Amino acid sequence: MDQSPSNIQLIFALKTAVAAPILGAFLIPFANKISVAARNTLAVALGLVTFISAAWLLPGTISGLAINYSIAFPLGFDFILSADMLSVFMAVISSFVSSLILIYSIDYISHYENQTEYYTMVVLFLGSMMGLVFSANLLWMYVFWELTAFASWRLVGFFRSDRDVLKANKTFLVTVFGALCMLAGILLVYFDKGCIDMRLLRGENISNVAAFLILTGILAKSATLPFSTWLPDAGVAPSTVTALLHAAVLVKIGVYAYARIFGVTFVAAPEFSQAVLWIAGASAIVSAAAALVEKDIKRIIAYSTVSQIAFIFLGLASGNRVAFIGGLLYILMHSVAKGGLFLCAGIIEQKTHNKDITKMGGLFKTMPITGVSFALCSLSVMGIPPFGGFFSKFLVFKGATQNGTLGVILMFLAGAIMTLLYLSRMFYLVFMGQEKPDSPREGSIVMVASVLALALIGLSLGALIYYPSYYVDLLTNQLGVNLQ
Amino acid sequence: MERGLLAYILIPLLSAVIIPFAARNKPRLADILANVTLLAGLSNLAYLLLNANSFAEVPGDGFSLLMVFTIYLVALCVVFFSAFFAGAMPNRQAYYCLLLTSVAAMCGVVTTSDFFTLYIYVEVLAVTSFALITTDDTSAGLEGAIKYFLLTFPASVFIIVGLSLLLLSIGSFSFESVQLFLSAGMPGGTVLFAMGLILLGFLIKSGIVPFHAWTPDAYQGSFSPVSAHLAGIVTKVSGVYAIIRISMLMRLSEGMAEALAGTLMFLGMLSIIVGAIAALRQKDLKRMLAFSSISQLGYIVLAAGLGTPLAIIAAIFHLFNHATFKTVLFLNSASLEHASGTTDMEKMGGMEHAMPWTSWTSVIALLSTAGIPPLSGFWSKLLIIIALWAGGAKVYAMLALLFSIVTLAYFMVMQKKIFFGKKSEAAETASEVSAPMLAPVVLLSAVIITVGLLFPWFYTYLVETIAKRMIL
Repeated sequence: MDQSPSNIQLIFALKTAVAAPILGAFLIPFANKISVAARNTLAVALGLVTFISAAWLLPGTISGLAINYSIAFPLGFDFILSADMLSVFMAVISSFVSSLILIYSIDYISHYENQTEYYTMVVLFLGSMMGLVFSANLLWMYVFWELTAFASWRLVGFFRSDRDVLKANKTFLVTVFGALCMLAGILLVYFDKGCIDMRLLRGENISNVAAFLILTGILAKSATLPFSTWLPDAGVAPSTVTALLHAAVLVKIGVYAYARIFGVTFVAAPEFSQAVLWIAGASAIVSAAAALVEKDIKRIIAYSTVSQIAFIFLGLASGNRVAFIGGLLYILMHSVAKGGLFLCAGIIEQKTHNKDITKMGGLFKTMPITGVSFALCSLSVMGIPPFGGFFSKFLVFKGATQNGTLGVILMFLAGAIMTLLYLSRMFYLVFMGQEKPDSPREGSIVMVASVLALALIGLSLGALIYYPSYYVDLLTNQLGVNLQ
Repeated sequence: MERGLLAYILIPLLSAVIIPFAARNKPRLADILANVTLLAGLSNLAYLLLNANSFAEVPGDGFSLLMVFTIYLVALCVVFFSAFFAGAMPNRQAYYCLLLTSVAAMCGVVTTSDFFTLYIYVEVLAVTSFALITTDDTSAGLEGAIKYFLLTFPASVFIIVGLSLLLLSIGSFSFESVQLFLSAGMPGGTVLFAMGLILLGFLIKSGIVPFHAWTPDAYQGSFSPVSAHLAGIVTKVSGVYAIIRISMLMRLSEGMAEALAGTLMFLGMLSIIVGAIAALRQKDLKRMLAFSSISQLGYIVLAAGLGTPLAIIAAIFHLFNHATFKTVLFLNSASLEHASGTTDMEKMGGMEHAMPWTSWTSVIALLSTAGIPPLSGFWSKLLIIIALWAGGAKVYAMLALLFSIVTLAYFMVMQKKIFFGKKSEAAETASEVSAPMLAPVVLLSAVIITVGLLFPWFYTYLVETIAKRMIL
């Protein structure tokens, strides 16, 4: 291996990105013993360190360096961290959103109990996410996969009422069930190929049974049909921040795993990709329809996430270069825009003490900045130019029409139109219309600044679309397998 | 009988004899004597196991050594816990005397190398367990004890008949001669029948489905630290250990004992399924844990039945892990009972604020039981599944994998009812148990996490050091 100083530095950054949040999470309870401020500072610092380490890796991977770190384990279970363009891309997005969540939390969460556990779990979650994206060994990917499930179990059950705990247990059981199917799939690969190091398995064929077992795990995690119900349920769990963590970060794990396993590692049979497209199409329509009739603001956004995730699957599974690029860009755009929407919903809920959108109205007058941010994020999710969301959606459709079936395309078109409808409906009901008496004031500065930042980033990503698309284009050329 | 390990049998026995006399009117002295005996043994063993040079000089099979270590570890945790457990304990001296005798008997079971001595020790163990269950002299305790006695009594009959047949057909009880006979390839109908009877006896003693009726009652009825002792180690040594031993012997008779091995695997799978589903429906904490034990022992028996070297290693690994996490859960149930005055899960709730340490150690232990990585239970289960798959039992492998979700489900129910949820009356008044009572569970939780995180080293150690000294 290249032992030049820059490479050593990069390996160090790679290790830090994984180890800092995982080990640091366990220091948070001790920091709490010192003071609340020390704990909050530590949590935010850990988030930022992770983000910086991940970003540090960007230039290295663009220039094509192989950044690997491994510990040999018996039975082929080597612990391998490997940074390539795809993993760094995901790591940067998720650590960025998580850091922002941590900053926003300082204010938002300060009224509740169990704060120490909350910070510990968010940071642990971030660490497991980093471990997951950088693991090149399928088994270790599974290990981190379950760790994220554990963290989200505690986070969804943040409030301890019976209802919340029930939802938390549902989330945990559904995702663990999926993960066990995935483990079965991984074991099939293990016995079939005698190896589960993804770097060595690149371009190999995968049997349909193994592919579908792994897909079950992915669908359960990314809340796609038929496992979609846990996400809206987890969304009504008390903390909006928690909901955001799930909608903007957790579900991306499933999508990432799809891109990693079926996009850049194995070559799956064409029937398999077809099946994925149909499942995703159904998921897009069903959840969009659910979002149209829901009244709870957080459930609407959660259903919207389920529906948007399906578009990412469309991009990744079409087997087409353009669509794949679109799918990856979609991950970026959706994380930013959906993050913004959730944080807006958090402010609205905290200020109005209400989640039912039919009982809101006219909030634009009293909460203008939140309203503008909400509108900007909605436009990006809808895919209106010149927002970032437009380019990703456009590329996904462009690629998919080149070699997709008409039925699938029509389903997704319907889904896209419904997205427009439910987001407009929600915006209208919440911000427009008759102003209600005693409308609340704007949220705190930190919270409003976070949402405005996300909205503006969404806008500027559209303006500067050249850079992310250049990166993703390079990524697809370097890593993509079996793409037309 | 391995001479080198004789001290581990004799010293606790000696303490057991001394305690009733020396500490007659001084209960604290009894506490100290019992603890010191086991602590000395454990530190000695830990030194031996961790030091490669001295390890090489110790006689004895690797499996036996690891088991002796596990016995001391669990027994020390139980004894230390009991010393500070202010529950109704009528006779401290008798209690420690029985516990130490049972430790001696267990060490005898795992170090012997012939079936007859094994049987003797198992019977000593049965008598001490019977007496230990009655430490709680309420009607529940007596009911549990009587059930234990009546239901495991036939087991002894089966074993003794099997032993007589063994003596008649090959004229010896030793493991070695049975192994020689089986590997010689002669038609061995009688021997196999005898082995079948012995196996049946041990299956009853380990409480594998369909012979599990006694375990929930015995665990529920007995004094809480005693249930930890019984579930944590006694049932494993008096039943499962012998099953693994016999499987190691039977594997040599390629093909001849297929029916026996097949039955063993089937019963193991059945235990996993029945135990897990029954656990889902329990309302009493200790009963739920008992059914969970049945289900987990099923994994061990399933792997033992397969009998490939990897399966045996996996079974032993899971045995060790199960001893650690089940002891944590039972000791925590004792703490909970102490704090809230009940083991009925419906009456608890919201205990996590009152008892954070108990809550978190329970979470660690239950996640390990459910096989959530990176805790120790995940690795042993994974090894079992890989061994099953590689050994051709693919259906069993898939079922075993998917039943982890049921394990997780019943533990979620437990966690929700006891620690989460609305604060019950019990939680309002409850407070965390004292630090010495937490020490054993924290220690064992640390073992669970360490073994999980350091799995590769532990696995290598298991293969290179322990398994090398076994006849696989």
